[in-house]
Amino acid sequence: MLLPLLGLLALVQGYPIAFAAYISFHDYQLTALDQVRWVGLAQYQGLANNSSYWNAVMNTLIFVSGAVTLELILGLALALLLHRPVPGQNAFRAIVLMPMFITPIAVGLMFRFLLNSQLGIIPLALRSIGVEIDWFGPNLALFSLILIDVWQWTPLMTLFLLAGLEALPTEPFEAARVDGASGFQIFRYLTLPLLRPVILAAVLIRMLDAFRVFEYVYAITRGGPGERTETILFHIYRVGFLYFRLGEASAMAFTLAAVILILVVALFYILRRQEAWA
Amino acid sequence: MTVFNRPWATPLPAQWALTRRRLGILIRLSLLGFSTFVVLFPFIWVLAASLKPPMELNRPSLWGFTPTATNWVEVWLRSPFARYFLNSIVVGVLTVAVSLLVGAPAAYAFSRFRTGGTWLRFLILAAQMLPPALFIIPFFLMAYYTGLLDTVWALAMAHLTFIAPLVTWFLIGFFEDVPRDLEEQAMVDGCTRWQAFLHVVLPATRPGLGAAGLFAFIMSWNEMFYALMLAGGHSKTLPVAIAGYWTFRGVELGKMSVAILSAAIPVLVASFFVQRFLIRGLGGGAIKG
Amino acid sequence: MRSWLMRLLVVVALLGTCVVGCRPAPKGPITLIIIMEQVPDTDVVRKLLPDFEKENPDIKVVIDAMPYDAMRDKILASFMAPKATYDVIIVDNPWMDEFVGGNFLEPLDDRIRRIPDYDFEDFVGPVRKIGVVGGKVYGIPFYNYAVGLIVRQDLFDDPAYRDAYQKKYGKPLAPPTNLEDYVHIAQFFKEQSGGKIYGAAMQPQRGYKVFEEWKNWLYAAGGNLLDEQGNVIIDRPEAVRALELYIEMYKTAAPPNSLNWGFDEALRSMAAGEAATMMSYNWMLPTLNNPQGPAGALAGKFALYEVPGGKAVLGAWHWAIPRNAPNKDASWRFISWLTSKRMEKQRVILGGAPVRVSAMKDPEVWQKGFGQAYYETVLKILEDAEPLARGPKAEEIIQVVGTELNAAVAGEKTAEQALKDAAAQVRKILGK
Repeated sequence: MLLPLLGLLALVQGYPIAFAAYISFHDYQLTALDQVRWVGLAQYQGLANNSSYWNAVMNTLIFVSGAVTLELILGLALALLLHRPVPGQNAFRAIVLMPMFITPIAVGLMFRFLLNSQLGIIPLALRSIGVEIDWFGPNLALFSLILIDVWQWTPLMTLFLLAGLEALPTEPFEAARVDGASGFQIFRYLTLPLLRPVILAAVLIRMLDAFRVFEYVYAITRGGPGERTETILFHIYRVGFLYFRLGEASAMAFTLAAVILILVVALFYILRRQEAWA
Repeated sequence: MTVFNRPWATPLPAQWALTRRRLGILIRLSLLGFSTFVVLFPFIWVLAASLKPPMELNRPSLWGFTPTATNWVEVWLRSPFARYFLNSIVVGVLTVAVSLLVGAPAAYAFSRFRTGGTWLRFLILAAQMLPPALFIIPFFLMAYYTGLLDTVWALAMAHLTFIAPLVTWFLIGFFEDVPRDLEEQAMVDGCTRWQAFLHVVLPATRPGLGAAGLFAFIMSWNEMFYALMLAGGHSKTLPVAIAGYWTFRGVELGKMSVAILSAAIPVLVASFFVQRFLIRGLGGGAIKG
Repeated sequence: MRSWLMRLLVVVALLGTCVVGCRPAPKGPITLIIIMEQVPDTDVVRKLLPDFEKENPDIKVVIDAMPYDAMRDKILASFMAPKATYDVIIVDNPWMDEFVGGNFLEPLDDRIRRIPDYDFEDFVGPVRKIGVVGGKVYGIPFYNYAVGLIVRQDLFDDPAYRDAYQKKYGKPLAPPTNLEDYVHIAQFFKEQSGGKIYGAAMQPQRGYKVFEEWKNWLYAAGGNLLDEQGNVIIDRPEAVRALELYIEMYKTAAPPNSLNWGFDEALRSMAAGEAATMMSYNWMLPTLNNPQGPAGALAGKFALYEVPGGKAVLGAWHWAIPRNAPNKDASWRFISWLTSKRMEKQRVILGGAPVRVSAMKDPEVWQKGFGQAYYETVLKILEDAEPLARGPKAEEIIQVVGTELNAAVAGEKTAEQALKDAAAQVRKILGK
């Protein structure tokens, strides 16, 4: 049953991953292809001292944890709201998903203009109540990007969690109600544990996607002010395609993948262990 | 109707219960209304922008200007936009179909047989953990050598590399929620494992399949990175067209707004369609009987 | 449900094949595929294509237009394939030396020589030199994007403003020719208008934009990135002064919270009448003065001048032929046709940014184009202009300096420290 998936992936991903791994051990520069030479682990080791790289990793970790946490909380709240019958339910369900329907670069550009101090509507509205916020200044820039991500991707969490809620069997809930359990108790001891696999999958998927944040940075801040919104994917793109040092970029990418893998496995086991306890 | 999320669930006189129920609905409606506003506000701005003449785009106004249809005409009638639209749909549907076809059985296998232990599940996510920037040159070369450059097939394949594993991962959760006695019962009744899968387990996971399918379509619909590299004049997709309005001489906000809105419509339609799967009870849990 | 899915797959497969199969196969005539950026200058070229195809019936030209980064990435990928996927490419000036160093471009000297009245020297000096690497010609100028100072001429001509300025500073109000005057004028406009009109719409966005804008200031202060011998001199006192003045302007006369502003925001601000000046590409003037354009009621009130100090930042796009292109002769026919004196004139009349001196001095162009004053100013700008950075690693140098500059404007570092750090990094990149 697994063969089709594995076959497909091996076919299409095999060569690219091998190629990427290969060049990470070479000084591979796109504009000096006749000078490609083996450098072994030098590019990996060089990362230890590369403050730009670690700054980018830090920025990305902050972004991911902020964004995914907010999305989980808001997404769960919305999913619960939409789960129970309410007038206009179908319309709400479809509308609430809309932010996902726009390609991220367009969302980035949209908010670039919406939040622009001079030309944007949101600062105009805020100014009318006396609030002045420098959305893309040094202190708030990364947080503004997180908010944009939350606007666009909370619907995804909502979609997953709603599907999860809909797929839950009804008997345990009826039984609990008959037994006189309170709403909160049902939520905490029944809904959450039963939703655990779906929550895990949703968080994982969103987390992996959040690590790849690129378009918002590209459209609005280009990594600035200073290096405050330089995320890791933007950095890799910069080194690989603006500076043409694809080998070094590849080493960065694999290091990042290792970091992500550790996080993913940790997340997986933590949630799994809690489930065994419940 | 059960009253969830209320910390005081003790029985009350009928009058009270009715009022509280109405209050509950009111609160939920206002929360939903607020969320809708937050969600829709940027869209309204985009709609306004699509109808503004060039001069108005420099002012933060939502109304108070004379709307013009030039942007819509320019985009739909005077550029190959319709073709990009079609391309996106083809690539999207291809991606959804293949990823569900390939992902559902795989997710089932992971959930029931723990095939390959846990490490295999993480391995298939490898492509998600590596940035697309690394893959675009190898993909380009692969497409070049197989003659598939600038076709929808190459793009669909590229999309599948990261969408199929995600769909699989997502579906594992749903398969785990289906109790094993269901298919065991079916097999005792004489079905093969495959038949049990098809006729018993899959229907129970309809909400998950619907969500996964929509998710796959959206991911493919919005994907820009690979499309930029692999698509040429013929297989260009919508995100590339939208990004194309960001020119050296500035963002053509009016036309981009038209493109954004047009691109959002099919997905809206698809999500309405998928609602049917998301609502349980239409055969979802009706296995006993 | 399975069968429904199957049916859907079949339909999609059919649709897909139709879409795939609908690609026109090149027969007989050679088809040149040209990669270009999606800009108005490309549209101008598109308008001229039918003339080319009429004069060269055995060649068809297809233009594949796309945004900047996509273009660069696809050009790179094309170099890596055995036969190039594009017959003619356009090259941005920071890439020129890198591409030549990577052995990707075809030298064009012989081809130029074989055309008797091509007059390669007619291309404005600084622009022409960008395409010449190691003594050989690899690129033919396409269009320029040199920086000029665009002002609201009506504000400078306004008697009330003129009186107040004369009183305050003791000299007449005129577009600035040095940095101090520029800062004063900008502050003046903001004060006098009660904060409604900002002195300058600046573009301090990290990376390319801030460096592109600030380097004009650096030139005006008498500084540069490198000196004649190639030493890094961006941390010298004149550079520090230029940066401190730039920051002062940002803090006192630019729109608030504009730290991440790039070209778009500055242009819109100017077009909405909220700024008195901006430093921008010289060909933005016709766009701003177009009544159907973004400025609407303000159209016609803008004027173009050289940047203070006269020396401007230069950018330019060149035509080039990849070494692995399949039909190099046809490619050259197209390039030489489009960049000939005759067609350049047509191109400029249709609104393209000029690169040939002859076109900028032609009365017919003045008459049918945007007027004598405009072209004369453009020529002046181009004659004394220099690119942001040259040589391999140009892009990296630009990004590195741009990051430090933005950090200084954001207040994270002092001007002196930022420039010191920038100089250190540039030295490291250049291996000095």
